[in-house]
Amino acid sequence: MSAAVGAERPQVVSHVQQALSYTVFDCKWVPRSARLLCLGSAARGTGIIQLYELHGARLELLREIEKPKPIKCGTFGATSLQQRFLATGDFDGNLNIWNLEAPELPVYSVKGHKEIINSIDGVGGLGIGEGAPEIVTGSRDGTVKVWDPRQNDTPVANMEPVQGESKRDCWTVAFGNAYNQEERVVCAGYDNGDIKLFDLKTMSLRWETNIKNGVCSVEFDRKDINMNKLVATSLEGKFHVFDMRTQHPTKGFASVSEKAQKSTIWQVRHLPQNRDVFMTSGGSGSLHLWKYEYPAQRSKKDSEGCEMGVAGSVSLLQNVTLSTQPISSLDWSPDKKGLCVCGAFDQTVRVLIVTKLNKI
Amino acid sequence: MPVWLREHSWRQTLTAVYLSLPLRGSRATPANIFCGEQYLKVSIPPFLFEAILYAPIDDTNSTAKIGNGNIFFTLYKKEPAMWDSLTLANADKEKLQYLRENAVLKAHEKAKEETEAKKITKQEHKKYTLEATMKVEEAERKRIEDLKEKERQKVAKELELWKNQQKDGDKYKSIQKKGELHQKIEPLQERKSEKMNKTQISNEGTSKTRLKSTKGHGTCNIFSQNLKEEQLPAPRAAATIKINFTPRVFPTALRESRVAEEEEWLHKQAEARRIINSDLSELEDLKEEEKNPDWLKDKGNKMFAMGDYLGAVNAYNLAVRLNNKLPLMYLNRAACHLKLRNLHKAIEDSSKALELLTPPVADNEKARVKAHVRRGTAFCQLELYTEGLQDYEAALKIDPRNKNIEKDAEKIRHLIQGTMQSS
Repeated sequence: MSAAVGAERPQVVSHVQQALSYTVFDCKWVPRSARLLCLGSAARGTGIIQLYELHGARLELLREIEKPKPIKCGTFGATSLQQRFLATGDFDGNLNIWNLEAPELPVYSVKGHKEIINSIDGVGGLGIGEGAPEIVTGSRDGTVKVWDPRQNDTPVANMEPVQGESKRDCWTVAFGNAYNQEERVVCAGYDNGDIKLFDLKTMSLRWETNIKNGVCSVEFDRKDINMNKLVATSLEGKFHVFDMRTQHPTKGFASVSEKAQKSTIWQVRHLPQNRDVFMTSGGSGSLHLWKYEYPAQRSKKDSEGCEMGVAGSVSLLQNVTLSTQPISSLDWSPDKKGLCVCGAFDQTVRVLIVTKLNKI
Repeated sequence: MPVWLREHSWRQTLTAVYLSLPLRGSRATPANIFCGEQYLKVSIPPFLFEAILYAPIDDTNSTAKIGNGNIFFTLYKKEPAMWDSLTLANADKEKLQYLRENAVLKAHEKAKEETEAKKITKQEHKKYTLEATMKVEEAERKRIEDLKEKERQKVAKELELWKNQQKDGDKYKSIQKKGELHQKIEPLQERKSEKMNKTQISNEGTSKTRLKSTKGHGTCNIFSQNLKEEQLPAPRAAATIKINFTPRVFPTALRESRVAEEEEWLHKQAEARRIINSDLSELEDLKEEEKNPDWLKDKGNKMFAMGDYLGAVNAYNLAVRLNNKLPLMYLNRAACHLKLRNLHKAIEDSSKALELLTPPVADNEKARVKAHVRRGTAFCQLELYTEGLQDYEAALKIDPRNKNIEKDAEKIRHLIQGTMQSS
């Protein structure tokens, strides 16, 4: 488990471990509660949604819902706090929004993509941010689509390859920059290392870059502020932190990159209570807790007088190995600082507590 | 035959025998002394001292002191008794032999036992150390585990506290609202429904029906009702953004690729394409066989044999354009140029041929000899005799047995000497 106890570093304590009878692809906390959801695929090829409640040192299964297609990802990002509907993407390319109290029929359903939806994100709900609630999905068919649950069947934005271009899998999507009703930006990472930033207000491609290795996960440090930092993780143990405050016309955004573990970094998640702390989960079953430090000056002028960003530095606060299989999903609880859940491919879901986060 | 040492002197007490054995100038080491229960032997080649003792002695405790040109034995008797003599008197050969062997055997056994005992003690020691280290490590591990447990418990308690706080807060709210509702609330829906209740309280009739109707329907406007009365913006106007992906010649992602090999492959492809493209326009008229460098080489050779040097040069030129890595082309072209007296071209071609003929191995010996000879000839005809000689000597080095080359080399040497003398 963790390294030397007794030092002032945050410790990762494994609180509960629950063995599951299916492969878990995503796990999410239900906002404003001590409940968590596990989404996955059963051996018989159906999708499973399980709702657990944290009771002392164990997880109590409250509800199990089975769906015809395996479910890959889910989010609560676009629903209101009262309703807390879950939006899921499944292996068949369907986007569904479920009311967990009455899960027989989805509240919203659309066959959004031709292939599996790899990643989903929601914004505008949960009392965070302003503007219309929207859901973005990224799929293996190379397209990224933004949906508004009030509009059926057609996406409100569609980022697709030019006609005749060979498609690349989109592995991850994230919303950002949603600080007022008009502004919104979607970041998508692809399997060939492309990262593209789409501006939804102007409906254009704002920035793109290539980090050479497939991008497994992207996340803005906060969705509802002027975009500040973006972390993109990739295969072969590398992740990049981009400073998104200053965009140079040719050089784009400044970044710092770190090579953390020998294996793929599957997920990155920022701590909801502190946007400079984030956790990465790796293919070797390990979790690393990082802190970003800003540079003395966040932007400087280059030789032509254009503003360009200065990237800061990243330091490792703690690392811990929990499993032998990759930890594919990670979620911080928005209500309790330091409480997080992670799901790994060894069919277990673990609830962890990270201590001493107040001291950093 | 060993030399027996007989000048020993001894004296005895009740329990011990003291034997003094002078060594005639030779040095003794403990290895030379062999002592059994009843048999004592000192063997320092060529000297030998042997004694069958009168009675058994305790050979483990007995000592032998080597020094001052003699060995001093202190033998402790097994049974305290006075001996009549040091050695057994009427010891016949057989008994002697028997006793000797016995003694040797006994010594062997003893040695074996000792090694066994040593091994056992060693093992015990090892075991002990291992156990000790294990204990220490256990203690360390336990200490760390305890610390972790403490942390865990602390954290679990905090969590419980937080959870209870949440629950209490909710319970309080639900109790307040319950009284105002007529709906049945499932225990699971407790928290959800009390939030719904809030909605109902603020917008009575319409919201109730709307919420009721939304349950269980496939398509609906779930987000139309916002608690805070803020108007949500309308859904965005649908638009599409077209994107391009970073181009890559190979379909595999970068991590699976082997960049160096790919670059090489691409390079080769590019070159091949270039060659084909450059010749494309002119080669359209040629027949298929005429594009084959080997066929062209043969044609060239034939023309050379017939004396059509220009034609041969043309054939070789075309062959070189198609494949510029064949040394023989350049070699043969050099010969043609020699005949045509294009000496500079001949030199160029033979040099190119030599370049292509690296590394110098036995296989391309003949070719290299030819190249050197042709270049040498060209140099000589240009009156650059020293360079020519160099080439001839190189050719000679490769093939020392060729008389023609030797003769030519000699001639050139004379020429050089001649010119030097005259100039």
